[in-house]
Amino acid sequence: MNDLLPLAIVIPLAGAAVSLLAIRSRATQRVVAILCAVATTAIAVTIVVHVDRNGTATAAMGGWPGSIAINLVADRFSALMLTVGSTMLLAVLLYAIGQRADDERSRWYHPAYLVLTAGVSGAFLAGDLFNLFVFFEVLLMASYVLLTLEGTDGQIRSGTTYVVLNVVESMVLVTGVALIFAATGTLNMAELPERLAALPDGIRLGLNLLLLIAFGLKAAVFPLFSWLPDSYPAAPSPVSAVFAGLLTKIGVYAIVRTQTLLFPETNRTLLLVVAGLTMAIGVFGAIAQSDMKRILSFHIISQIGYMVMGVALGGVAAISATIFYMLHHIPVKTSLFLVEGIVERDTGSSTLDKVSGLARRSGWLAALFLIPALSLAGLPPFSGFLGKLGVVSVALDQRSWWIVAVALAVSLMTLVSMLKIFNGAFWGDPMPSQVTAGRTGVLRHHPLMSGVTVAVVTGTLAIALFAGPLYRFCERAAFDVTNTASYTAAVIR
Amino acid sequence: MITLLLAHLGSSLICLIPGRRSARWALPLAAVAPAVTFGWLVSQSSAVLHGHYPTTTITWVAELGLTISLRLDGLGLLMGLIVSGIGTLVLLYSTSYFGKRDDLGRLAGLLVGFAGAMLGIVWADGLLTLFVFWELTSITSFLLIGFEDRSATARSAAQRAFLVTGGGGLALLAGLILLGQAGDTTSISQLLADPPSGTVVTVALVLVLMGALTKSAQFPFHFWLPGAMAAPTPVSAYLHSATMVKAGLVVVARFAPVFAPVGPWRWLVVSAGLASLVIGGFRAMRQADAKLALAHGTVSQLGFMMVLLGLGTPATTYAGMAMLLAHALFKAALFLSVGVVDHSAGTRDMRRLRGLLRSLPVAAGMIIVASASMAAIPPTFGFVAKEKALDSLLDPGVGLVGWVALVGIVLGSVLTVAYTIRIAVGLLGNDAPGVPAADGRAAVVETPVGPSSLHRPSAGFLAAPVLLAALSVVFGLAADPVGHWLAEAAASIDPASASGSLHLWTGINTPLVLSSLIILGGWAVWWTTVAATRTMDAPYSLATRLYDHAYDALLAGARRLTVATQSGSLPFYVGVVLTTVAAAMATALIAGASQSITDVKWFNSALEAPLVALTALMALAVIAAKQRFTAAVLLGGSGYLLAIVYLLQGAPDLAITQFLVETLTIVVFLLALARLPRDFSPAPPWAPAWVRIGISVAVGVTVAAFALGASHARTAPSVGEDYIALSEPAAGGRNVVNVILVDFRGFDTLGEITVLAVAGAGVVNLVRSARRQQRRKQLADGVELEDRSGRPSEVWR
Repeated sequence: MNDLLPLAIVIPLAGAAVSLLAIRSRATQRVVAILCAVATTAIAVTIVVHVDRNGTATAAMGGWPGSIAINLVADRFSALMLTVGSTMLLAVLLYAIGQRADDERSRWYHPAYLVLTAGVSGAFLAGDLFNLFVFFEVLLMASYVLLTLEGTDGQIRSGTTYVVLNVVESMVLVTGVALIFAATGTLNMAELPERLAALPDGIRLGLNLLLLIAFGLKAAVFPLFSWLPDSYPAAPSPVSAVFAGLLTKIGVYAIVRTQTLLFPETNRTLLLVVAGLTMAIGVFGAIAQSDMKRILSFHIISQIGYMVMGVALGGVAAISATIFYMLHHIPVKTSLFLVEGIVERDTGSSTLDKVSGLARRSGWLAALFLIPALSLAGLPPFSGFLGKLGVVSVALDQRSWWIVAVALAVSLMTLVSMLKIFNGAFWGDPMPSQVTAGRTGVLRHHPLMSGVTVAVVTGTLAIALFAGPLYRFCERAAFDVTNTASYTAAVIR
Repeated sequence: MITLLLAHLGSSLICLIPGRRSARWALPLAAVAPAVTFGWLVSQSSAVLHGHYPTTTITWVAELGLTISLRLDGLGLLMGLIVSGIGTLVLLYSTSYFGKRDDLGRLAGLLVGFAGAMLGIVWADGLLTLFVFWELTSITSFLLIGFEDRSATARSAAQRAFLVTGGGGLALLAGLILLGQAGDTTSISQLLADPPSGTVVTVALVLVLMGALTKSAQFPFHFWLPGAMAAPTPVSAYLHSATMVKAGLVVVARFAPVFAPVGPWRWLVVSAGLASLVIGGFRAMRQADAKLALAHGTVSQLGFMMVLLGLGTPATTYAGMAMLLAHALFKAALFLSVGVVDHSAGTRDMRRLRGLLRSLPVAAGMIIVASASMAAIPPTFGFVAKEKALDSLLDPGVGLVGWVALVGIVLGSVLTVAYTIRIAVGLLGNDAPGVPAADGRAAVVETPVGPSSLHRPSAGFLAAPVLLAALSVVFGLAADPVGHWLAEAAASIDPASASGSLHLWTGINTPLVLSSLIILGGWAVWWTTVAATRTMDAPYSLATRLYDHAYDALLAGARRLTVATQSGSLPFYVGVVLTTVAAAMATALIAGASQSITDVKWFNSALEAPLVALTALMALAVIAAKQRFTAAVLLGGSGYLLAIVYLLQGAPDLAITQFLVETLTIVVFLLALARLPRDFSPAPPWAPAWVRIGISVAVGVTVAAFALGASHARTAPSVGEDYIALSEPAAGGRNVVNVILVDFRGFDTLGEITVLAVAGAGVVNLVRSARRQQRRKQLADGVELEDRSGRPSEVWR
């Protein structure tokens, strides 16, 4: 069983290598990519089932004892994230093939995408702080290539912002990791809790802040968010879909992991303030925009605020709410970008002034947008409501009035911007140029893209429907995460 | 009960999914589920009235206290009958109202979906169950108001309604969660049976009231309701007069008997209710569109019921229940009749309608009967209910607020009578008042619509409004049994109201005198204002304008904020990140990170001091350099010097690596610099030198100081010692650095190699796409292929 953990990283990496070798044959690239993505997803599912039954699984790379080796660790939290992540990667891969994002102009799509897959697996499974850094680098480089896939001026411009800020982030992270090593003599996340606890308060605070800044930039929290709305909208839709859904959430994952495992006893008032500001600044940015992709990009920031809020509140209840929030948010956000991709593909634009009356042309497309949009705004009976309910309940229980007020106001403003999209793009008279396209459904023109979108949206509905067992799983995961001793015991036997 | 709700959901989906193909059969099909529900409710009624409340619970997320739990009590029975009964009638009515349209499947699906959600509200026993269905009605209401989505008015009205009720819904959510936490329960009935108290409960109740007031269109949130009239008339009749707007009343009615004495509850409901009663009344008198007049009347009537139900004494609760029934009957009848008029005459403008008494006698009769009920003229049920209401307010025993309520209600009712007469006369009068002769607005009034330009409605079309209007009279005549039934129903929310009774004739007493005075007063008000020609501009009121201002201000503010934070300037973003780092490190140092810096060893060898000084000098020179080339060479120089430091520290491998990297970097720099301008681009104007230097120095100093502190803080042994110990015996390598790179931490190396490979691939891709674009540019023959998002170099501003 434990041998499966490295496979989740090695299989897509090997696939990337094959894909590079087969750079002249798109068919081979596609087959290899799909096979690897399916295999990774299958492995992830196996891991999550196994871990839930038998407890945390670990793999010591190179066969060294747990305290010396780089460990891969899958507890319920990382296994769940791995499953959601690899499923989304598979879905978006199929969508991208449907959109022909991998056409002859972008032969590098498949290798880069597979490396990204490996990076995602690695980041979720890393049990060593430096190894986590390495996989963040893998993610960064792969995402940079994907972002600038077409090499247009706009992409290079946003790619520059993206890569420079993320390299600054890498610098901060590597400084933090190096100083943690200097102060504790280890990078093994199973040994760190005990050693960090022995450090003086000031040192521990500084180390924590360095990690928070680095992961916070990845997650795009206030005030480190600016790179995101400047870079994501330029990427091709299937790429921005996976970025939006997944990449920032890896930052959140790292925040949850380090806050609960390495710095469990911390005053998180500052983090709570950051969460509130993140929500607010993101949603203000969103309602100021008039382009679907840009609105949706700002919402990534705003939604991250809710997850950080959960971490900042702390405790099993808040962490389980955060985990559920992540579980719901990844597919919801992805599906919104997928719908946007179909709109852009069909109408040639994602600007609200240029698109109109889509609901009249395809009621299905309107539904596919409305479901995740209302979910994002936290309305019942959709999954977003459950996530919001979780964090807000905990905050009310702790009597943190102001953050509840912010969270609720932000969810109303989220609704404002979602209605802005719906009003602008889906209602009204169809644009004259689009009427001539005939009354046949928009979806039928793009079968694979539509199929994937329907599947992901159905997935979000399923998350809401089966929220009971899923939430119980999240609670078990939160218990794992907050219980430092069990992590250490699983790694160092 | 769950089955019935699922049946609504199911028929909603069946109507929605096939799209245009369902247009013909959808409406009748959708009527089935509400009709069955009505039948089931009738069959359950005797059991419910005897106190046997069917319940059902499905746990959704136990950890969050989220259940779908339903309980059919008396109030749920009454409202359920209204929701399902009127729902069935409205759906059947719609089959005649709408001609051949291809989007009736959507309409039917949304209507029946709404009916299900509304049933969920009135039956909800779980605190969060209530919220779930509450928001479902908001969503369906949004989609129904925006049904005619080609009209910009409908779109903005739909959005306004959704945002107002949605915002109230969020307050409700917070309130319900707090009540659940305070009462340690997830069920409304348990909460009311064992009510918690304290400041938190007061806050929670105010939040719940906010939700109820927005949903029931009460002042100051009343403005969304007239706008919602952009929906087709059957939708307005159903959602925005008979059912959805009563959701707030239902919640208030349930909570008031227990929580009315708490904090500001009574004052809040009474002031909001009376304000709505009066404002709605005035507005209703100034409309030309009969439907809008009715909508303002609905705001007014809802205010009336809000006062009654919110006071929460047994008598007012009972009277409020009677009013709920009376209002649902007459208001739905009026809306549907106006729909008939609109359909037949092609207009609802009261200034244009002529001679309806002759041309549409049945519709006219219904309007007269329903108006009589609205104005509380005997022998209608409206009269009976209002008598009871006045009676209940004569001695409510709740102090000053009760008297305020009584006076307000009497004055408001005068207005009710006045606008009712105005609407009835406006619709039916041969010579409609309000037709301006020399007014500037006269131009708006087109040719009057007389009997000749009408077509007669079918019997099926008239059936629903006729039935509702007839019930208004029948229930009035049979006040005693209806009153008995209502008393048993009301007992479920307040046992003390079980003794209530209704009578058509109660003798000559204070309520009757008051009623007569109200009717006379209303007639007088109408008579004195009959010539007043001022009409209001459609649904726009001060509150709407305020809302729109607030909305625009929000958008403008958001835009300004975003322009400020999202400048697109990469140096600015980097500056923000670095400032954050410096602030964080300074915080850590202040918190005591510097205390662990003890006996610092400044030098290991005499060579280090000049080396470090030279390195620093070169770094400073880099900053001073004006040309890119000079800077690159100086940067390389400081790198080489650093490599010597490594060498002195006894790390030859590291030194060699550093040499190689520096060499390679300089080579790459030189290759790239050949294609770049000689000089640096000027610094952005917002960042003068002192800002840039300040940030850099702050970062450097704080990070260095913290690094010193962190490395001095170690007490535990390093894993490096294990590596050294294991290197030769276990890994078989004498160079421990090599062993670390390829064995102990070989997995990291795999990752780093991947990073290099991907970076290489990215560079190749960029170079190729640049070439490809150049080629395309040449092909386009001079046509500029400028990317609209600007040139790449602009990020350096």
